[in-house]
Amino acid sequence: MKVGVPKGLLYYKYHPFIERFLIELGAEVITSVDTNKNILNLGVKYCVDEACLPIKIFHGHIMDIKDKCDLLIIPRIMRVREREFICPKFCGLPEMILYSIPNMPKLMTEPIYATNEKELYTWCKKLGKMITKETSKIRGAFNSALEEQRNFKFGIKDEGFKITIALVGHPYNLYDTFINMNLVKKLNTMGVGVITEEYVEEEKIKLEVKTLFKRPFWTFAANSYGFTTAIAKENEIDGAIYISSFACGIDSVVLELIKEKIEDFPLLVLKVDEHTGEGGLDTRIEAFIDMIERKNNNENNISTFRQHTSCS
Amino acid sequence: MRITFPHLGNTHLAAKALFDGLGIECIIPPFSSNEALELGSKISPEEMCLPYKIMMGNYLQSIEMGADTIILPGSCGPCRFGEYCELQINALKKIGHDLTFIVIDSPFDIGKKELLNRLSKISDSSTKGKVQKIRALKTAYNVIELIEKIEAVANYLTGYEVNKGAFKRLLKECKINAAKAITASDMVNILKDYKKKIKAIPINKHKSPVKIAIIGEIYTIIEPFSNLYIEDKLMDYGVATKRMLTPSWWVKDAVLTPLKLNSIGIRLASREYLPHYIGGHARECIGEVLIAQKDKFDGAIQIFPMGCMPEIVSKAILPAISNDKDFPIMTLVVDEMTGEAGYITRIEAFIDMLERKKNNVLYGS
Repeated sequence: MKVGVPKGLLYYKYHPFIERFLIELGAEVITSVDTNKNILNLGVKYCVDEACLPIKIFHGHIMDIKDKCDLLIIPRIMRVREREFICPKFCGLPEMILYSIPNMPKLMTEPIYATNEKELYTWCKKLGKMITKETSKIRGAFNSALEEQRNFKFGIKDEGFKITIALVGHPYNLYDTFINMNLVKKLNTMGVGVITEEYVEEEKIKLEVKTLFKRPFWTFAANSYGFTTAIAKENEIDGAIYISSFACGIDSVVLELIKEKIEDFPLLVLKVDEHTGEGGLDTRIEAFIDMIERKNNNENNISTFRQHTSCS
Repeated sequence: MRITFPHLGNTHLAAKALFDGLGIECIIPPFSSNEALELGSKISPEEMCLPYKIMMGNYLQSIEMGADTIILPGSCGPCRFGEYCELQINALKKIGHDLTFIVIDSPFDIGKKELLNRLSKISDSSTKGKVQKIRALKTAYNVIELIEKIEAVANYLTGYEVNKGAFKRLLKECKINAAKAITASDMVNILKDYKKKIKAIPINKHKSPVKIAIIGEIYTIIEPFSNLYIEDKLMDYGVATKRMLTPSWWVKDAVLTPLKLNSIGIRLASREYLPHYIGGHARECIGEVLIAQKDKFDGAIQIFPMGCMPEIVSKAILPAISNDKDFPIMTLVVDEMTGEAGYITRIEAFIDMLERKKNNVLYGS
């Protein structure tokens, strides 16, 4: 059986798990191609206009593989942590696609509550039953998939660079090189190292999140907030770049919270949408890096007017 | 303590009744207007949704009038309304207004103790006894139910009226007089009076007006300024409208949700197209369309603020419903840049189309 896995949204975070699980069950895994211009165009064509870039691109990935597989997985990820959500659009993703794209193959759209192993297993069991009749294999496949996911190294931590900056944002914006126009590579060639949230201890992130008046109920929002504020405090990292998709409701809140907290820690917000031009993006990154270099050379950061120079 | 709160349709009447009953001074901000929106936009994040900006404007105007405490309902759903309180506290602090915020969250998220703790901040400053407090709460609920009933009747029966504008005039008069009431029980009496009056307005039952259901994001459909007074406009056109989401519906829904007894009709209706709660009121939106279609309405208008996450999902589903059921649905997205002329043109064109479809004039040719 050919099972389609679209290469969009949280694929970048959970692909070891789902791919291993399907292979163990003896299914042929069909993934869509890496995001490209064609995928984007297809997505823009079929998706509802108001949606954000990652959702549009996901529609494009669906278009790419929907005719190549017998069963298509559209993950309806309700939550990955207790009492938290990802985004309303994730919960309604299958419906968005189902009613926007015609002629869909057989679909797997059961909700995923990945708060613990047991909850996740119920989803896997449903998926497994759709693929194979040998239900006894499901448990084994599930275990080795979990193993694979745990052993997979996520995140980026470059070493040996003079400047290190933190890359913040939703995983699909950070790891899809088409969305962020190869940002990591660009930074590396400029002599700038990158660190992502996976390399900061979870405890530190949680500690920061606790200082908020209201417990944030979005998983990635909590991560981004905790990560950025934690590194801003420690002063080991020179700045942060936040990649945000245009009209992202979650980012509109988190960015405000971050800006409120970090004061004049250098922060660059890169908004991406389907019109983003690469030239403009380059200019902004270069200017940001220049500014950080100056700040570093100019020891104590005092302007001629004896005022603190703000860099955000 | 001088309490204030953001506007949401007619809730200011209920709030006035409540705080008058409790003996707490409350400041009703001026009705949401362009001025409020401009004031609010100035200190709001650019990409924030419209309700946030209008609410900020409400606060600023009440602060000018002397308010020092703000009451705001919260939520912990995936919609960003739940995060409003934190951002608004910060934003107001930044410009030098250090106010007390009382955020009423669901006890399942902050714990029963914390909720009672927050509520006690209000009830402690009231000098009234426990019985009177409960009575005040009940009166407030009566007020909101009455005004909603009157409004719903007026909006629906406008389509059948004999004398053009009779319902609209009476509704306007009713709201003005109710706001003038001195005591809470006075207000209830005034509203009851108007409820009788509205029944006496002559209607022509043989008319068959265009009927439209108003659906979408709860704030933008309830707060008339944010949807550019769409219900008033539709009343002028002699269209019968129905809106299921109201403040009292919201209260009932919030109370019944833990028991899973909330809006059963909507849940049943929406099951086919959106079987899960995805946050905000997206599921209600889908359910209402299907109910309206069953009730032989002619069309529906969906309204939501630009960037509203749950409504974007329902917007993606609505065209499919429209096709399957042959039911016209129009979506209007509002933000601080919405121009009134373009907005009216779209509404008029939609109504024209519904009229033609109804009378089968040139339809389909």
